[in-house]
Order: sequence, then structure tokens, then C-alpha cells
Amino acid sequence: MILGSVVDWHDLLEVIWVSAAAATVLVIATSLAILGGARANSARREGHHGTAVVFGTLGIAGAVVCAGGIVLAVSVMLAK
Amino acid sequence: MDSDLLLVLVVGTALAFDFTNGFHDTANVVATSISTRALAPRAAVGLASVLNFVGAFLSLSVAATIASGIVDAGGITLTVIFAGLVGAIIWNLVTWYAGLPSSSSHALIGGVVGATLAAHGPGDVDWDGLVGKVLVPALVAPVLAFVVAGVGILIAYRILGRQRPGPVTRGFRLGQLMSGGLLALAHGTNDAQKTMGVITLALVAHGNISATNPTTPDWVVVSAASAIALGTYTGGWRIIRTMGSRIIKMDSAQGFVAQGSGAAVILAATHVGFPLSTTHVISGAVMGGGAAKSVSAVRWGVAGNIAIAWVLTVPMAAGTGAVVYGFAQLFGHGAIGPLIVAVLLIGGLAWLGVRRFRPSPRVEAPA
Repeated sequence: MILGSVVDWHDLLEVIWVSAAAATVLVIATSLAILGGARANSARREGHHGTAVVFGTLGIAGAVVCAGGIVLAVSVMLAK
Repeated sequence: MDSDLLLVLVVGTALAFDFTNGFHDTANVVATSISTRALAPRAAVGLASVLNFVGAFLSLSVAATIASGIVDAGGITLTVIFAGLVGAIIWNLVTWYAGLPSSSSHALIGGVVGATLAAHGPGDVDWDGLVGKVLVPALVAPVLAFVVAGVGILIAYRILGRQRPGPVTRGFRLGQLMSGGLLALAHGTNDAQKTMGVITLALVAHGNISATNPTTPDWVVVSAASAIALGTYTGGWRIIRTMGSRIIKMDSAQGFVAQGSGAAVILAATHVGFPLSTTHVISGAVMGGGAAKSVSAVRWGVAGNIAIAWVLTVPMAAGTGAVVYGFAQLFGHGAIGPLIVAVLLIGGLAWLGVRRFRPSPRVEAPA
């Protein structure tokens, strides 16, 4: 039995890159959502409304990417 | 008549295994949420249970692998499947008793392979399928989860390192509702399918389904989803403690990253039909999240015990499956042997339950 012939390397590599990319995007998007929310709050308290809008937008964008990622993950499962 | 009774016994045992799978693997899904106080223990377990149920309906790729990619579906008998299931249940209970998060999936596969070896010899085991679809992904998955979670936590700390801890902790706890939900969904879709695959195998062996293209009936999907959800709700609190606080003391960022990375690996693997161990994946992710922050933060002694349990799972479950098959055969080829084994197993479980089982002791989150 030769390992190279019994392992479906195409599927295995797909698992590796898809999971690495998905987890990285999820972490970055969530971190940016938290960063945006936290900075927007403190900017609003200090009266910097322009900065608060910018960070608020960043926070919302991060949250939307997170939600989109989950919807994509579930739809990929359903499509199988 | 004898064959029908045996089929009922096998389906019942398969659902009992599914229950122990949910019970045993609850920790994988909820431990990080509980230990970081993102969710109260009962709420975490309840949510995981519902999402496990839903997840079981999402895909059948893994069920197909179990039903046709590990052993020769055409040559397998109901007694072999029964013995394999009992081997897996016994190993699950032994590791639960020791508080070790071992793999229910590998216990199941090991049990079925061991019973097949005892019954028909090595010719009926699909060694290529076993190595290519089970063993190699089993080696790759925890390492992948370890690396992905390690990189993820470094990215999260890099982005949020200068922020006040309060909003960050609250943000990641909120994020854990999402990542924990995704993980529960991934667990349901990957693990419930293993039982579906085994029941499908039993239906093939009984002649209800064609061996050339076995498809999983709807009632099998519903009953397997219900059993794993019920087991998850019951909760294996001993392993929750190990996963939640004995490997590392987690902060909410580590909890979120471990769950998110684990869910990503399991969903990607389920998509291509690899029957991964969710236990291996989430344990690898928890260790990766801890080691990236500080190598000494991981209790490597506990991690070593878990790794030993991983290595032993397939051979021990295979050995138990083979012994159970041999014992059942002492009483002939009918349903008597499996019936006696089932009675002994239920008696053993009742004895264990009376002596040791505590439904919901308090699980304290780390300070």
C-alpha cells in the first residue's frame, strides 16, 4: 500500500486551505468588529463623532463579514 | 425472526452509541464557552443540543464514507456491527470515566474494524479507505487546528492588543455564541452521520438496502439526530472540566479562536466526507490557542494523557469489538449472543450509573 495512492490529496489540501482561510477571515472580521465597536464607543464619549462613525462602520463591516461567513458555511453544507 | 430481532438490537445499540457520542463530546462544543463565561453551563449545553440536532440534517457525506469506505459493506453481518458498536461504547465509557476527551469516531471505526477482523479476517477491511479517509486525516486535523488557532490568536492579539480588556472580553464572549453555535452545528453534521452510516450498514447487512449504492433512509437521519442531541443535553461534565480548564486557562479570545478554528476544520472535512474526530480537532485548537500565547500555559502533562488516549482508541476499541464478537459467537450465529451482551452492557451501565453518574454537578469557570 503506497500512501500517495490511497490518500485523496486533492480533498486533503482543500480541507487544509479552506479551513485555514475561513478561520483566519473569521478571526480578523470578529477582531475588527470588536475593535470598531470599542473605538467607536470611546470616540463618541469623547465627542469625536467623525472618528466614531468611521470605527462604527468598521465594526459593522466586521460583523457583516462574520455573519456572511456563517451563512456561507451552512449553505456550502446544504449544497453537498 | 431471529434476524429481525438482531436488526432491532443493532439499531438500538447504534442509537445508544450515538447518545454516548453526544454525551462524551458535549465537552468539545461547550467547554470553552463555559470556561470563559460566555454562556452558563445549562444554556451552553441546551444550545449545543439543539444545534447538534439541526446539524445532523445538513449532510450525508460522512455517513456514506462509514457505510461503504471502511469495511466491505457486502460481506458484513449484523453481529459484526453490533460487536463493533459495543466495543466503541465501552471505550467511550472508559475514557469518560477517566475524564479524557478521546475520539468517539475512532472508537466506532476501531470497533467495527476489530469485529470485522475477528469475523472475516483482514480481507474484508478496506485498508486503503481506513488509511486514506480516516488515519491520515486524523493525523492532519489536530495539527491543522493547532496551527490555525495559534495563528488566529496571534492575529486577534495583534489587532486588539492595545484595547481595554473589558470591551474585548465582552466582544469575544458575544463572538463565542456564534463560534460555539457553528461548532455545535459542525459536530452534529460530522458525528451524527457516523451512527447513520452504521445503521445504514446494518440495513445493508439485513438486506433492506442495496450494498452497491447504500443510501441513508430519513428515519435513520431523524433518530440519529435525536439521539446525539439528547446525549449532548445530558452532558459529560467530567470531560467538560478537562477541556475547559485543565489543558489551559482560557481567556475569551482563546475560546473564540479555538471554537472558530475547530468549526472551520470540521466543516471543511465534512464537506469532502472525512469522518474526522471533533475531539482531536477542538483539543488541537485549544492547545494551539494556548501555546501561541505562551508555550508554558499549556499543561503538557494533561495534553500527553489525551494524546495517549488518542493513540490507544482505535486498537483498544478494535480489540474490544473483536472480543465482543467472539463472545457473542459462543452462543451461535443468531440473536442470543448479542442479546446476552446487550443485557450485560445495560447491567454494567446501570451499575456504573448508580455508583458514579452525577447528572449536572456545578462546573466552575476559572476566575
